[in-house]
Amino acid sequence: VQTSFETAVEDHLDDVHAYLVYLTGDRGLAEDLTADTFEKACRLWKRYDARRASAKTWLCQIARTTALDHFRSESRRRRREHVYNLDVPEAVEGTYGEGLSPTIESALAALSAGEREVIALRVLLDFDGESAARLLGISPTACSTRLSRALKKLEDGVRSHVAA
Amino acid sequence: MSQPDSILTAELLAARPVASTELRARVLALATEAPVAPPRRPHFRLRVLVPVAAALALAAAVAGGIVGSFSSSGRRAATPPPEVFSSSSAGAADRAQSLPARKAAPTPTAGLAPSTSRAQSYEAEIRLRVQNLSRATKRALQLTRSFGGYVRSVDYGSGTQAGTAGLVVRIPIGSVQAAIVRFTALGAIVEQHVSIQDVQASFDARFRRLQTLRTQIAAVQEQLADPKLATDARRTLAARLSSLRAGLVALQRVQSQAQKRVSFATVSLSLSSHKAAVAPPPKPGRLQRALDHAGSILLRELVVLVYVAVVGVPLLLLAALLVSGERFRRRRATDRLLATR
Repeated sequence: VQTSFETAVEDHLDDVHAYLVYLTGDRGLAEDLTADTFEKACRLWKRYDARRASAKTWLCQIARTTALDHFRSESRRRRREHVYNLDVPEAVEGTYGEGLSPTIESALAALSAGEREVIALRVLLDFDGESAARLLGISPTACSTRLSRALKKLEDGVRSHVAA
Repeated sequence: MSQPDSILTAELLAARPVASTELRARVLALATEAPVAPPRRPHFRLRVLVPVAAALALAAAVAGGIVGSFSSSGRRAATPPPEVFSSSSAGAADRAQSLPARKAAPTPTAGLAPSTSRAQSYEAEIRLRVQNLSRATKRALQLTRSFGGYVRSVDYGSGTQAGTAGLVVRIPIGSVQAAIVRFTALGAIVEQHVSIQDVQASFDARFRRLQTLRTQIAAVQEQLADPKLATDARRTLAARLSSLRAGLVALQRVQSQAQKRVSFATVSLSLSSHKAAVAPPPKPGRLQRALDHAGSILLRELVVLVYVAVVGVPLLLLAALLVSGERFRRRRATDRLLATR
């Protein structure tokens, strides 16, 4: 069923935003990228075909492209300025959600963007394995493997923080 | 998922990030400017495209076949009909059989009239295909007698499926044209040949020779009538007269035979009742022609398709390989990028 862009925004703004928060690990950046994503989506809405993919998948695909473009330009900028920092970013309270325990926040921050991405897609946005795999450009098996590794790493991170 | 995973995911879900009011207002402002609903674009799928392409190719072939059948029938109508009868050509029977109404028509050679003022040797050979050999042979003999002619020879033989008869008849020269017309009406003409040879010169030469002999005989008779002629000379002249008279008689006989020979034409009739070795194929109808054209067009389409496949498939495979390689490279780069953040 073809929906209006306004309906798509109302239904999936939080999904896209949550996905970008997990992908970037930065709330402010996620807000900017969310706005950019919907700006692009508004321009591309004429091309959207509901028979090919759901609006949520389509919007998340645009969000991912937008975020990756940002990451690449950021990497180039950092290389130019010689300030590239591989250190784990410090967790800012409330980055990954309001009321989330600092332990989990820290554990999430310790994950890579790719690991947080798959958690966001499968857990927060409730994508099935096939849709998530298509969005990530990998096979469903690889997607499942990536999810279990990410959750295992998250769990280990939480445990280590609790032990410390 | 394991138990700790479930607790974790539940906590993650409970604390799911929500867009701020400012962001919501900003994005909704965009949404009000967007079109209400995207226009539906035609969505082509391979499983639909392939049957549609096949149906189009078939329709094009059928349409081409129908158009081709019309144009070919038009060409046939514009082509003049072939000459059916020939004075001495084999294979005319097939054409004559395909057009039975024409087989009784007088042939061009039947119009070759013998000269009434000059002596001519007239010979005709006719080969006919007949339905009933016995009846045709009897009819030919009756015709010969009715024209005042006679039969020189008859050779008749028939089997269960085929039979032949050979007749050599002599027809008075004045009736030979009409006789040939009647003979050719007995069946389909397979072959016909008429030969006319002028023999007037030999007649004239013999006539002059006869006149000379008569003059010489008269001169010898005049010398013999002289009473003063010596006995030896009389004996010699008597012997010469006898020789001249014998020569005159012989030459008169030759002249008479030649006269009789040219007063009759020789007609050789070959009749056969066996079927044609190869039956002419029936003319195809318009539907058959359309199907033939459609088949040839389909064949041409298939050839083009095979050509495109032979040339295009390696290129497509190469392109697919390049695209796959580029996708793989980008995915690896993306994975590395996401792993470092």
